[in-house]
Amino acid sequence: MARNLQIMVVDDEEAICVALSAWLTKEGYSVETAGSGAEALAKMERQPSDLYLVDYKMPGMDGLQLMAEIKARQPDAPIIMITAHGSIQSAVAAMKRGAIDYLCKPFDPEELSLLMERVAAAHTLQQAETAPDGQWDTAAAPPAWGGIVGQSEALRIVLEEIEEVAPTPAPVLITGETGTGKDLLAMAIHMRSEQAAGPFVAINCGAQSETLLESELFGHEKGAFTGAIKARRGRLEMADGGTLFLDEIGEISSKMQVALLRVLEEKKFCRLGGNQPIETRFRLISATHRDLRQLLREEQFREDFFYRINVLTIHIPPLRERLADVPVLADFFLRKYAAETGKPVEGLTPRAMEILMGYAWPGNVRELRNVIERVVVIARGRMIGAEELSFLQPPGDTCIPETATLKEMERRHLQNALENSDWNISRAAKLLDIDRVTLSRKMKRLNLKRP
Amino acid sequence: MHPSTADPATDALLDLIPFGEMEPAALTVVAANLQAVAGLPTRIRAVRPTPDDALIATRHQFDAVKIITALDREPHGAPFRMGILQRDLCIPILTYVYGESQLGGHAAVISLHRLHHIDRRITAERGAKIALHEAGHLLGLEHCREPGCLMRFSKQLDQLDLLPMRFCSACEYETARLLKRASVNRRP
Repeated sequence: MARNLQIMVVDDEEAICVALSAWLTKEGYSVETAGSGAEALAKMERQPSDLYLVDYKMPGMDGLQLMAEIKARQPDAPIIMITAHGSIQSAVAAMKRGAIDYLCKPFDPEELSLLMERVAAAHTLQQAETAPDGQWDTAAAPPAWGGIVGQSEALRIVLEEIEEVAPTPAPVLITGETGTGKDLLAMAIHMRSEQAAGPFVAINCGAQSETLLESELFGHEKGAFTGAIKARRGRLEMADGGTLFLDEIGEISSKMQVALLRVLEEKKFCRLGGNQPIETRFRLISATHRDLRQLLREEQFREDFFYRINVLTIHIPPLRERLADVPVLADFFLRKYAAETGKPVEGLTPRAMEILMGYAWPGNVRELRNVIERVVVIARGRMIGAEELSFLQPPGDTCIPETATLKEMERRHLQNALENSDWNISRAAKLLDIDRVTLSRKMKRLNLKRP
Repeated sequence: MHPSTADPATDALLDLIPFGEMEPAALTVVAANLQAVAGLPTRIRAVRPTPDDALIATRHQFDAVKIITALDREPHGAPFRMGILQRDLCIPILTYVYGESQLGGHAAVISLHRLHHIDRRITAERGAKIALHEAGHLLGLEHCREPGCLMRFSKQLDQLDLLPMRFCSACEYETARLLKRASVNRRP
């Protein structure tokens, strides 16, 4: 589970460096360690990190001095100060001088995990904010749009709608096909809202069971159920003062809709197993790829909840309806993956671009991203040509026997994708725009094995 | 599937080593699941005294890193070694751990202390899940984001309880592949 975050741990106690580095590596982060401020600065010169975990008390250059040096070289670098247990004064001093947070030794594993998730999410957002040059070709280009790249009229209208709805406190429903980037729109709204300084708490309602979702949203009191050995805050509580983003809202049960409706109306709730009302005020943004009105007609979605979450609606059109975005998106992803892989790929030939423009993009921006990642990986020259995109073209002279069953077709398609990815499951899954678990399951079912 | 208890001639890939007093049923459940779910031929070794040299007296906890280091240095035994104890475990930087292991290494340790439940069967099942998670790390797996996978990091016991006793299919595939490699490159 490689995560895109490079962390430097600076502590004069080797055991701390080793233990923290091992823990963070298991979490999937890239970690470097330094035993002193000087060593950290030397390593930073060679390769700056995305996050610095700095011990407050070190011989020679102490944590505060090192923080000032890091800030001088990398002003936006997030720094977390590690302090001794109980030394609140040093934690306060660190926060005053620009540390984003502090951790008291020894750390609570849950606290550390949550903090790292928060930093990683902020880092992803910041990376996305580093908008590529050229997608807006006028001086009137809007401020960074959180990785939303495009030049089509359709997208311009969406962005104008965001500018309009962002400052209001009203709930927003974002609709659009899978892969269109609804989560990026939600973040863009948050960043332009009055709650921008508050937390952006996201949860995918479709990815968990009802019980887990309930516990995740509402939190629980100690002893609420088997294993609840201590109280835990839920996402509703964490979102206080910020934005709550409920992705895949069309998947939640009727019971959960009622529970959420009550919170939205009363602005307070109780944790599971608790009877103490907790107040919470957040801006709600929901998203779905499903037709909620159809679900209403089928009585799978409650009318009162629908109108509560659907005060303002933003629809993001599928990529095939805004093909003008394809060249700038392709260019954006091409430069991103060229930089990541270190390949000197500079662009696409006109014929290659024609192929991209002629494709229907059923998987939307996510599919385009996966295609570009793949062609950058297999690219041999400076330009991506039509031959590298041949897999997107119609099969042409490929002979498909009329007797081929759906299962045979699926098997053949998966085999092609796997062969084109050197049987790397993650890469093939990306290519097919499914997750690797699904691919592994299909491989097992179709008895597809690496030769 | 019954784990072997002390046959030195066995082809065990993992030695499960109890430190201090341990309920035999819990030990058997952990070993059986290591074999059945991860496919790791496991043998239960004789009980050893509590590793007092790893005790951090001020915290009333045992230092997992010290135990792992000692297990890793032992010249004899199966390629993978996993200590198991009833006492509370920590690493110096964290207030507690359920288990700790070398990523892609040879030694791990788990504790049943914080997994305790009034129903002993649940305690043993929790122990088996932690053991399988640490075994995954020993084989080289990092944490997984799949909600129903044993390699997902459980921040709390309720999350651990919700996990089924299995890896997601991608981690299962990786486990089988890495296990095959481990079987070929057995530690001398």
